[in-house]
Amino acid sequence: MKYIPLAAIALSLAAVQPVPAEARSLVLAVGGEPDAGFDPIMGWGRYGNPLFQATLLRRGAGLELEGDLATFWELSEDRLTWRIVLREDARFSDGTALTAEDVAFTFNTARDAGGLADLSVLAQARATGPNTVELHLRQPRITFISHLASLGIVPASAYGETYSREPLGAGPFRMVEWREGEQLVVEPNPHWHGGASPFERVSFVFGGEETNLSLARTGEAHLVAVPPIQADWAPAGMRVLHVETVDNRGVMFPMVPDEGQTTDAGHPIGNDVTADPAIRRAVNLALDREALVQLALAGHGRPAYGPADGLPWDNPAGYLPGADPIAAAAVLEAAGWQDANGDGIVERGDLRAEFTIVYPASDSTRQALALGAAQQLQAIGIDAKPSGRSWDEIEVMMHANAVVFGWGAHDPLEIYSLYHSSNAGLGWVNTGFYSNPTVDAYLEAAEAANSFEASLPMWQAAQWDGSTGFGARGDAAWAWLVNLEHSYWVSECLDTGASQIHPHGHGFPITWNLQDWRWTCQ
Amino acid sequence: MTETIMQQCAGAPQDMPVRRGAARRQLVRRGAVVAGILALVTAAPFLPLDPLHLNPAARGLGPSLAAPFGTDLLGRDVLARTLTALAVSAQVGLAAAAISTLIAVTLALAATFSRLAERAVGVLTELALGLPHFVLVLMVAYAAGGGMSGVILGVALTHWPRLCRVLRHEAQTVAAADYVRISRALGRSRFWVARYHLAPHLLPQVVVGFVLIFPHAILHEAGLSFIGLGIEPHLPSIGVMLADSLRGLMAGHWWVAVFPGLGLVFLALSFEVFGESLRRAADPVDGGA
Repeated sequence: MKYIPLAAIALSLAAVQPVPAEARSLVLAVGGEPDAGFDPIMGWGRYGNPLFQATLLRRGAGLELEGDLATFWELSEDRLTWRIVLREDARFSDGTALTAEDVAFTFNTARDAGGLADLSVLAQARATGPNTVELHLRQPRITFISHLASLGIVPASAYGETYSREPLGAGPFRMVEWREGEQLVVEPNPHWHGGASPFERVSFVFGGEETNLSLARTGEAHLVAVPPIQADWAPAGMRVLHVETVDNRGVMFPMVPDEGQTTDAGHPIGNDVTADPAIRRAVNLALDREALVQLALAGHGRPAYGPADGLPWDNPAGYLPGADPIAAAAVLEAAGWQDANGDGIVERGDLRAEFTIVYPASDSTRQALALGAAQQLQAIGIDAKPSGRSWDEIEVMMHANAVVFGWGAHDPLEIYSLYHSSNAGLGWVNTGFYSNPTVDAYLEAAEAANSFEASLPMWQAAQWDGSTGFGARGDAAWAWLVNLEHSYWVSECLDTGASQIHPHGHGFPITWNLQDWRWTCQ
Repeated sequence: MTETIMQQCAGAPQDMPVRRGAARRQLVRRGAVVAGILALVTAAPFLPLDPLHLNPAARGLGPSLAAPFGTDLLGRDVLARTLTALAVSAQVGLAAAAISTLIAVTLALAATFSRLAERAVGVLTELALGLPHFVLVLMVAYAAGGGMSGVILGVALTHWPRLCRVLRHEAQTVAAADYVRISRALGRSRFWVARYHLAPHLLPQVVVGFVLIFPHAILHEAGLSFIGLGIEPHLPSIGVMLADSLRGLMAGHWWVAVFPGLGLVFLALSFEVFGESLRRAADPVDGGA
């Protein structure tokens, strides 16, 4: 009996031990273990490439949409019906065929579940033949196509309560074992329609940043995610890989004053200081984002001015340039904020310009950003107090305190989620209760546009239309700080192929082409 | 037993004054070191050093004249952070040791009041001693919401049992002595007895116990902060600095680990050694040896 714990430790160690190349087993430490398991209907893989499940469409290296399960797809003229033809050779990893019924089941179930995959606009998904599906929308929604590229298809016959822990899909890999908080072991799905992976087994080890670094240092992992600030010091035998992303970090402001309101869960809403547009605009004007990139990312990133910098739906006219403390101080003064008591922090009446910037204590990059921003704001008389908390604590605090959050997606649906008033207080989007009817109208017009191209001016106008918008020049609902590069240490023997521009996504975006990775050493 | 004590005492008269003198000098020396350290860390917040100032242009620099302990990955001065962190450690240590000692004294005195109280305190003490030590600290700190108050409570509520046991035993011995019985027979109150008979006997043990809890407290603070349950990760604390240093060490930045680590060892060790000297000075048998 007494040897059982030892045997368990030995087994778990053996599972993460490096193995010779000929065994073709990989160990990755990229984080991103999903709390809710691997159920696409509950949000798994919402940034695309859900690993175990196949999607109707997928994004290529250049983010272009291409068919995965779908061989043909079109939107009706009234923009209310998607017609999709499925490939005939798609099989779940247990060998059963994937049919149009499974696709209809997945979309209908996701609509009813109301999880992170928000499909409320879907009226009904209907199988019109063994390999043809129609998705009927309640109203035109141009970003609906992103769901085709992100919602993994689950089997109608095998979907149940345990699915998130025992996922069955038609994606490139199938689950072997998941020990929560420790590791996930996967192997190629022999029935996958896309070809064979050269690796017999892939283990994802879950731990903090320190765990990743230790695994890399001891040679136990072949690819680890590392904080950008440390990326330049790769251990022997590993190279540094920086991947361009649309993964951003910014400070979300509570937009309403504290009037004693709480959410249904009892969490406080509102902050008197950040509810003042002058404070938010001054913060945006004062922040030197280049310096933050140097401080927190060691230069491996770029300044962020909006939620989608450089993407087609971005509007640079809504930016405030930043690094201008004089202009920031002028904005504060014009709004009646003055340092009457000489303590270096401005006040307006009895209200002192102080608020907490909450960051997740486990994330050293967000910590550095919070500290850097707080130090810069001190110079214009704003006392931003950094506070490192757990995600559970942040969930309680996020409606009444500024929080360093991160977003970044391959489509503008995220803009709608973050800034439309209907999402105020809903989950992790629009936690600041931002509401502007003009912006709402632009966002709705964008979703109702005739084509994606036609929607672009609407998205841009929501950011700044010359007089209002969610951007820094308008309501300044956020102070966006930086766009990251995702940094990894990769074994010199591992070829990870072409990099896709990563979305935000807690670890797994690097696996978008895992099936194409190659081992180059003998 | 009596013979043994008599034999020990028989050899004492000649060398005891000499040994006592040496022990006293040692105690004073060690006390001076502890006082010096406390003075330094108390003064840390008033020194022209900013432990929070970030400097992107000075990230990860080794020790130099400008920054004798080097800088960390965010360009913060490691000397300033180490001194401030030791001040935090000292505050946590003092507060936790004081609360812990107070609990121990209260329970030890309460145990002298009745047989029932004696039994209750005995069971409570043994129960607290029987539980895994660090796990208990973790649970209390977590339940108290972490942070500095969580650490102080976690350490304070778990470090009283040993001192309490010593004090209880000492109190029982005194309470059973003839002169105490005579006092009680003469009509002295329990509080009079506690004030004039118990307190003088317990005081040296209390002081020693207090000083010896201190190093435990600061090491636990470092441990809790190291695993993220203590002081917030951006504030200077030895535990936080050592946790951060794991990243710095990967880059060859030894100074981010060595200086805070040495500071912690020095602080804990000096109190440990001082407490040991105090204990020996307070011990009538061991005091001259």
